Amino acid sequence: MLLTRASPTFLPSTSAASPSPQQAPSPISGRIQHRLVSVSSPVSGGPRRAARRSVMAAAGAVPAAKLEDADALIDSVETFIFDCDGVIWKGDKLIDGVPETLDLLRSKGKRLVFVTNNSTKSRKQYGKKFETLGLNVNEVYVIGEEGILKELELAGFQYLGGPSDGDKKIELKPGFYMEHDKDVGAVVVGFDRYFNYYKVQYGTLCIRENPGCLFIATNRDAVTHLTDAQEWAGGGSMVGAILGSTKQEPLVVGKPSTFMMDYLAKKFGITTSQICMVGDRLDTDILFGQNGGCKTLLVLSGVTSVQMLQSPDNSIQPDFYTNQISDFLTLKAATV
Amino acid sequence: MANGLPNPPTGLLTAGATRSLVDSVDAFLFDCDGVIWKGDELIEGVSETLDLLRKLGKKLVFVTNNSRKSRRQYSKKFRALGLEVTEEEIFTSSFAAAMFLKLNNFSPEKKVYVVGEDGILEELRLAGFDCLGGPEDGKKNILLEANFYFEHDKSVGAVIVGLDQYFNYYKMQYASLCIRENPGCLFIATNRDPTGHMTSAQEWPGAGTMVAAVSCSVQKEPIVVGKPSSFLMDFLLKSFNLETSRMCMVGDRLDTDILFGQNTGCKTLLVLSGVTSLPELQDASNTIHPDLYTNSVYDLVGLLQQ
Repeated sequence: MLLTRASPTFLPSTSAASPSPQQAPSPISGRIQHRLVSVSSPVSGGPRRAARRSVMAAAGAVPAAKLEDADALIDSVETFIFDCDGVIWKGDKLIDGVPETLDLLRSKGKRLVFVTNNSTKSRKQYGKKFETLGLNVNEVYVIGEEGILKELELAGFQYLGGPSDGDKKIELKPGFYMEHDKDVGAVVVGFDRYFNYYKVQYGTLCIRENPGCLFIATNRDAVTHLTDAQEWAGGGSMVGAILGSTKQEPLVVGKPSTFMMDYLAKKFGITTSQICMVGDRLDTDILFGQNGGCKTLLVLSGVTSVQMLQSPDNSIQPDFYTNQISDFLTLKAATV
Repeated sequence: MANGLPNPPTGLLTAGATRSLVDSVDAFLFDCDGVIWKGDELIEGVSETLDLLRKLGKKLVFVTNNSRKSRRQYSKKFRALGLEVTEEEIFTSSFAAAMFLKLNNFSPEKKVYVVGEDGILEELRLAGFDCLGGPEDGKKNILLEANFYFEHDKSVGAVIVGLDQYFNYYKMQYASLCIRENPGCLFIATNRDPTGHMTSAQEWPGAGTMVAAVSCSVQKEPIVVGKPSSFLMDFLLKSFNLETSRMCMVGDRLDTDILFGQNTGCKTLLVLSGVTSLPELQDASNTIHPDLYTNSVYDLVGLLQQ
């Protein structure tokens, strides 16, 4: 299970990705919604913290709360997504208390999903302890225009395709064989004026032959208004074409960059707010979780320190932070 | 349902079953892609098989959903592969589209817009219809300047959509406008196969792709003239003095070839030399059960000799 990340940088607070009260809530990201949930939830603790949070909320960045009542967080969530490096293991060593923590979550009926960069060796070592939900999105093949490419870039995905494939031609003659990248883990389809047979075949090959490859649609509109004067065939046509050749229904998402969260939510029949993303990197794991409308928990057992989290240069605030996931075993609600 | 054969479900073709089949059938209907050839390569043993069946006095008919060629062009392809098959023995979805318009008294004053290749254009022109579109429109692009207005011919009375390797947004938009805005405009699909062996080495998107694209844009379902629709069978029956209960449809795709055979009352034989694998045939989710199945048509030769 591989998730491609952009190189770690702290995004400036003016970037489109940072939380802002002016940002119109999209149906999928729901970040504003989930911020409100965390402010009013009992786990956020004490009146002073609540006050500070309100002030910060007005300024646009609610600071992360140190995790105190683990049970409350666990109860509010149906699925946990764990980044592995720095959360589950470090190099080839399991972090202390991980097996017991995962057992606890499983005993509470929680679904666990593991997303990892690279550590197939570690995964093999720990074998059955990890639920192997295949989210193999190393690369994305795009049938669409610049807008989709930009969104995917911002979310840290590597992509192939896009408008430039509009110039690629095929000729159905003897010996003509189309190769395709076996690492493509998702085909994202939206409105595309440069749509052609090459793209249909490329997308179809990925969906059909790359194990677990997702078919994502950003737009199923039958018509669109490219000009005011008349209606034009919409993104629904391109999606229809791929549906026609693969006989698979796509997952429809609001934003291309949040398709993995939406995929999981739809697959499990839950909302993204019932998912908690647990990771050690702010600009990838936490941002990824926030963009998808999930709850987010930063662990300090990996690359991020509490100083980095609380630095004035950092604008990415997870809902909670804690030292390591085994804190789930020890942190209980305060009794007074 | 007996059909002269031992009871279903699907059975592997055996020597006994082959003899029964050949004795109870006067005509064999063959799909082409994945049965006779793959791309431009003849599948092994086809020549001997067809020779043997002709020797046994069986009528051979070829029914293909591939609209890229006309019947005449397919006859040439057969000849190039060393097989003697006349135009009259070939029924293509491109021919079906032209015949559909003829049978429905399509007005000679109206035009036909084609999202497809030469095969469709040729059959339409042979039948006397005025066509627009086809491969030429594959070179056209949209210019999205501020006041660009996409014109379309208001006299188009039918849009025919088939396999089109030159498919592009221009054609999709043209077709959509005709169907949406020209009153009474017909939306006809040659077929809806999702994929096919357009080349021998791999499968390629089929007409089902282009048809779905247009269908999603206009939000209407097309009239399908190729398999599994039984439309072509009427022509077949008129041309040859045959009964469907004395015919066997041989094909590689369940939801077109086999369904076509079943819908029209033929016996059905699935070959695994094309798009369908044995696991797919036997999968619990599959609801289409041919009478018999075998690896390829050449098996008929071996089994008859036993």
